[in-house]
Amino acid sequence: MASLVLENVTVDFPIYDSQKSFRSALRRTTGGLIRREGSPGHQRVTVRALDNLSLTLKHGDRIGLLGHNGAGKSTLLRVCAGVYDPTGGRVTIEGKVSPLFNTAPGLDMDDTGYENILTCGLFLGMTREEIAAKTPDMEQFSELGEYLSLPVRTYSSGMLTRLGFSIATAIDPEILILDEGLGAGDARFAERAKRRVDSLVARASIMVLASHSDALIQAMCNRAILLHGGRIAASGSVEEVAEAYRKLNQATDANPALSAGQLLQSSRA
Amino acid sequence: MTPQYGVAIADILAGVLDWRMWERLGSQEVRRRYRRTALGPFWTSLSLGVFIFTLGILWSQLWKQDPKVYLPFLCSGMLAWSLIATIITEGCSAFSGSAGVITQLRFPYTILSCSVVWRNFITLFHNVIIFVLVALYADVPVTWSSLLVFPALGLIFINGVWVVTLLALFCSRFRDIQQIIASLLQVSMFVTPIFWAPKQLGERLAVFVDYNILFHFVDILRSPMLGQAPAAWSWGIVIAGTIVGWMVTIAMFSRFRRRIAYWL
Repeated sequence: MASLVLENVTVDFPIYDSQKSFRSALRRTTGGLIRREGSPGHQRVTVRALDNLSLTLKHGDRIGLLGHNGAGKSTLLRVCAGVYDPTGGRVTIEGKVSPLFNTAPGLDMDDTGYENILTCGLFLGMTREEIAAKTPDMEQFSELGEYLSLPVRTYSSGMLTRLGFSIATAIDPEILILDEGLGAGDARFAERAKRRVDSLVARASIMVLASHSDALIQAMCNRAILLHGGRIAASGSVEEVAEAYRKLNQATDANPALSAGQLLQSSRA
Repeated sequence: MTPQYGVAIADILAGVLDWRMWERLGSQEVRRRYRRTALGPFWTSLSLGVFIFTLGILWSQLWKQDPKVYLPFLCSGMLAWSLIATIITEGCSAFSGSAGVITQLRFPYTILSCSVVWRNFITLFHNVIIFVLVALYADVPVTWSSLLVFPALGLIFINGVWVVTLLALFCSRFRDIQQIIASLLQVSMFVTPIFWAPKQLGERLAVFVDYNILFHFVDILRSPMLGQAPAAWSWGIVIAGTIVGWMVTIAMFSRFRRRIAYWL
């Protein structure tokens, strides 16, 4: 049974000064003599993307992540995919994970659709035989036809999304992680994607979907959280969270200068 | 940072054993590089062949050596050197060049290391044709010692994986290291006996040979190609390098593997 548990997860991104990455590190390790405490050259700059966040996902959960740019949605997705080992707290992932960010993992623009189906499928843990067996299904769902024999750099962004989505859902994932990229498909694709995810979730699993669009999340999810400043600002049913998101948007429009905490307070009021 | 030996060793085992994956990545990269070229990977062989032929003729005259002795020596040395040196230089970008997949998926990173090594083995297999031509011209003997190319290739592969993993790890954090490695390798090509034989050096500078690990890696492959058995000292240094190298790599990888995604 798939499950995904985040306990007090904190993610800090280090920011390195590209100009003196190596020199300043040399100084740090060799420079016991010239060390000046707290001087700008020795400060480690980090950006906190997730702040002490806890979340438990169980079988059948289809959770939507709402939030503005920089709220921590993508970072949270990547923590769920096991890409970022959090700097604080614990993550326990049980189940086969299939992530779909902007493109399928391992996608190469110069390779053809078929070549990418093979490479990405292998990356996702399928065998060549499984990939061969699932290829007709991917051909059918992606509706790319002859395009699958062309390099994917010739694809439109909607076509890339269709290819990536076909691959990501072909492996029968237990945990499906989807970024906004899904929005690149047209309305018809959104409807077909929803049906495919519905059938997947019926068979297994957990879905985590991040988006700016509360409509997409309302269509595909059965619970939601609102992220703001790396914390969970609201959690509950899709309707409740979408409502909180709208209030947050209004509060931001009314007073863009307010800090994260103040915004949340005024959006609740 | 607390070392996670279990995670590192699991990554290495899973990565090395997943040969279908790294075979695919390696050969696909070769295909991609030479797509729409007429000769494909033989372009590398051709340019290496021209280099060996012209310099081989010229230098055998300059140094008053029999071309039938000098050409096979230069050719086998260059093949071994370009295998080793390209693994090292390309190893630096093994992780940073695959930032896309590393920031999307959790998988054994050593798959990427193996694919870099494998990609260069594919190039070597194409380059062998030059050596065959040279060997036919110069009547290079085929002896029982020639079979030692196989353990030599095995050792180069095993060492290639740790070298690439270690360099890729450092280079994803410190982008300067790649430049340093490239310049060092350029000098090393002339310091390592590839264009000249070790015995031409004399006693005083023998350290350049005896303690030059690159020489021993070249030699375990070159000597069997020429039908001779490599010195026991060379095998010893290479095996010692394998053990020490893997120990250092495991120590580093278990500390910093989890940071790699953050550095890219």
